[in-house]
Amino acid sequence: MTTGFWHQVSAVVHRDLLRERRRGDVLWITIPFGAIALLLIPLAVGTDAILLRQIGPGMYWVIVMLFGVLVSVGKASNETLPQQDASALLGLDPAAGFVGRATSATLLLLIFEVVVGVVAVGLYDVSIIGIPWLIVTLIIVAIGLALLGTLTGSIVNSTSAGTALVPLLVAPLSVPLLLGATQSYEGLRLGHSILSWVLLMVAVVLIVAIIGVLTARPLQET
Amino acid sequence: MQAQTRNRQWPWVAIGLSLAVAFTLSMVSPADSVQGDLVRIMYVHVPAAWLAYLAFFVTFVGSVGYLTTKDLRWDRIAAASAEIGVYFTGLAIALGMIWAKPTWGVWWTWDARLTLTAIMFFVYLGYLALRRTTDDPVIRAGRSSVLGVLGALQIPLVHFSVVWWRTLHQPPSLVRPDGPAIQDPLMLTALIVGVLAFTIVYGSLMVKRIELIKLDDQKAAIEQSIERPVAGEAVTVPDLGASS
Amino acid sequence: MSEWGWVAFAYAVTYGSLGVFAGSIAVRIRNTRRSIGETE
Repeated sequence: MTTGFWHQVSAVVHRDLLRERRRGDVLWITIPFGAIALLLIPLAVGTDAILLRQIGPGMYWVIVMLFGVLVSVGKASNETLPQQDASALLGLDPAAGFVGRATSATLLLLIFEVVVGVVAVGLYDVSIIGIPWLIVTLIIVAIGLALLGTLTGSIVNSTSAGTALVPLLVAPLSVPLLLGATQSYEGLRLGHSILSWVLLMVAVVLIVAIIGVLTARPLQET
Repeated sequence: MQAQTRNRQWPWVAIGLSLAVAFTLSMVSPADSVQGDLVRIMYVHVPAAWLAYLAFFVTFVGSVGYLTTKDLRWDRIAAASAEIGVYFTGLAIALGMIWAKPTWGVWWTWDARLTLTAIMFFVYLGYLALRRTTDDPVIRAGRSSVLGVLGALQIPLVHFSVVWWRTLHQPPSLVRPDGPAIQDPLMLTALIVGVLAFTIVYGSLMVKRIELIKLDDQKAAIEQSIERPVAGEAVTVPDLGASS
Repeated sequence: MSEWGWVAFAYAVTYGSLGVFAGSIAVRIRNTRRSIGETE
């Protein structure tokens, strides 16, 4: 882990963000998809203002978990086989590739969270409380979800199922993040300490990050 | 050949015998004073749930074994155990629901342990789905072993999260699928024998399932080595009459 | 449904599904053995 490692990471992040700027997958597909999901829910469950205020935060986080994972399987932070081969030939450290792709997915997920969050506040009249902790939660969830999506993305990469399998693999594993995020909000609302939830989410991030870095090379070789 | 056939069939005999003993005991044991005859469902539900955890632990061990040794035997153990584990998880959930309906009046409650079991079911269903996407044994082993490790290490975190989630909102006092209070020695025997019998079933199924994976790999290897006719082979160069 | 009815249901699910699961493994083993030309 020298300066070369972080140099490679930033190069990968730069590449992914450049690709997103050219293609606009997250901005023009995933974010509108998440927003329309938030619009559909009241049509199905009823438009009662009190009900919507109650279910708003939970619905927001469910949408982030289910649709946010699409950000990390999008074209921007997912390499095709020729791209993988090129990266390997150029001597890119697989671990640096993993960290870089997870970082760019985190940044894109943060944008997704903020835009969809604004839609949720607008449609469901969700009250924003405990802004510092909310920001911490948003960041940890983005990192955790990005790591899970990137790791499972490289597991299913170039198999016949392609990226269709990633949401199935990520959804059950993201339960601690979903509960951490929703219960933190509840805790803040009721004035409880939410430190244990934050630590739990950090534990998820650490475990997935360690597995991802350690298995980056064997996954690339097969 | 005869000896070899008998040798191959012993797991089926073991399954039959152990289940017969367990079934008899669970039927002759007395009814519970609180739950009545419904307690008999526990003699299959508890063993199934125990096997679900055991099987996924074995999958974890097999995955770590493969990642450290690159020996495909570990991967076969992990794969066979995951499939049997998904089956027993599904069975445990179904039996729990059958027990819950007459006991609590609902099929499902959001109890921490139930939720965790359901999530585990989907984690390993994903594992099996991943295995179906590749035919190459080495690629399949490398990828699924990473998922086997990831899934297993995440389970404790999922466990904590659902336990905290339940304790925060709904104290798990009324509805807990705790085992029945054991009053009679015969009831305890029925439960223990049930767990032992199901463990023997698990071991026997593992032997047969691993045998099947080996055969499938052999079959795939044979199919790849068979020389197939090349496309267009039947087309011959037209004779333009130059030779005549 | 009576208590014994629920018990019977649970045991039917257990042994029925176990039979199907084990049976499917047995059948697949036999078919694969045949297809690779090995005799039992």
